[in-house]
Amino acid sequence: MNLVLRVPAYLGVGLVWLYRATLGMLFPTTCKYHPSCSEYAVQALRTHGLVRGGAMAGWRLLRCNPWSRGGFDPVR
Amino acid sequence: MNHLALLFISNPLTPLEHIARHVLNWLHGTVGLPWAWSIVALTVIVRMLLVPLTVRQIHSMQNLQRFAPQMKEIQKKYKGDKQKQNEELMKFYRENNINPAASCLPMLAQLPVFLGLYYALKHFSRENPSLHPGSLSFLHFIPSIAAHTTTHWGGYVLLVVYVGSQLASSYYMSASVDKTQRTLLMVMPVVFVFVIARFPAGLVLYWVTTNLWTVGQGLITRRLMPKPAAPEKRTSRSPRQDDGDGGGNGAKPDPSGQPPAQPARSNAPPRKVRRKKAGRR
Repeated sequence: MNLVLRVPAYLGVGLVWLYRATLGMLFPTTCKYHPSCSEYAVQALRTHGLVRGGAMAGWRLLRCNPWSRGGFDPVR
Repeated sequence: MNHLALLFISNPLTPLEHIARHVLNWLHGTVGLPWAWSIVALTVIVRMLLVPLTVRQIHSMQNLQRFAPQMKEIQKKYKGDKQKQNEELMKFYRENNINPAASCLPMLAQLPVFLGLYYALKHFSRENPSLHPGSLSFLHFIPSIAAHTTTHWGGYVLLVVYVGSQLASSYYMSASVDKTQRTLLMVMPVVFVFVIARFPAGLVLYWVTTNLWTVGQGLITRRLMPKPAAPEKRTSRSPRQDDGDGGGNGAKPDPSGQPPAQPARSNAPPRKVRRKKAGRR
């Protein structure tokens, strides 16, 4: 990923970290996936940039519902 | 540039604040509830909408507890390597067709409501300048739901109720068998009390209501959904069975038909139990 794409992606990563440090602490939960949704979001943003990585993270959050089976689901 | 786009640029959370304020206004103005009870009603509405999600979650949590002995075994085996431990647990879930209880979506669904309410309460007095000072009180011990929780002694009472309700709700919602995680869940409310003391009292009211709802839901579902059958109670005089059913060690029977992981039974003679003489007072 070139620098132009990397900067917005790192902004997204920063937001995830902000969430983890604040609201993520207030609403403790354990994710049914491995890596957890926030970790997945960080990895997806770093690998695929803000737009695609963000969409992947959003799709993962939607999949992380009580009806899904969870499991090992790394960023590809 | 249209108005909506401008709103997002000024504060991306402004639309949430507007929605929260509209709902509160409706509950207060049209339904006729006092402001504080409007917050309670808003919380109840949100939680009612989330019932299908949470019932499903509680159901899978109870299912998960049946596999607790095997999961503990995996955790013990990979104690040093957290990553490997998680991977093995996920594999175990998949092999045994388990749906892990905790998921992110129900929690995230509450987040917009929480944030909207936070901003709505923060700007409450500014948006409603003609309010009667007493109209924001709650049960006569919180003078204003829009003020910081610690501005009045009633707020401290609310904080104590919050800690109690949070502990009770964590007890019902923690599906994890990991002891550290459970301890963390129990310690967290005590730590967060210092954070939320700076929040408007109405937000703490939201929190207490949602926690109490969780507890009530936990109590009802526990009563409605029968717990997995407990192993038969045996005394030292009961005849021995050689089917390896766990011999009263508290392990629950495994519905998948696999024998639960446990130490092999030794051939030692039955343990003698020294009984106390009848000394009931």
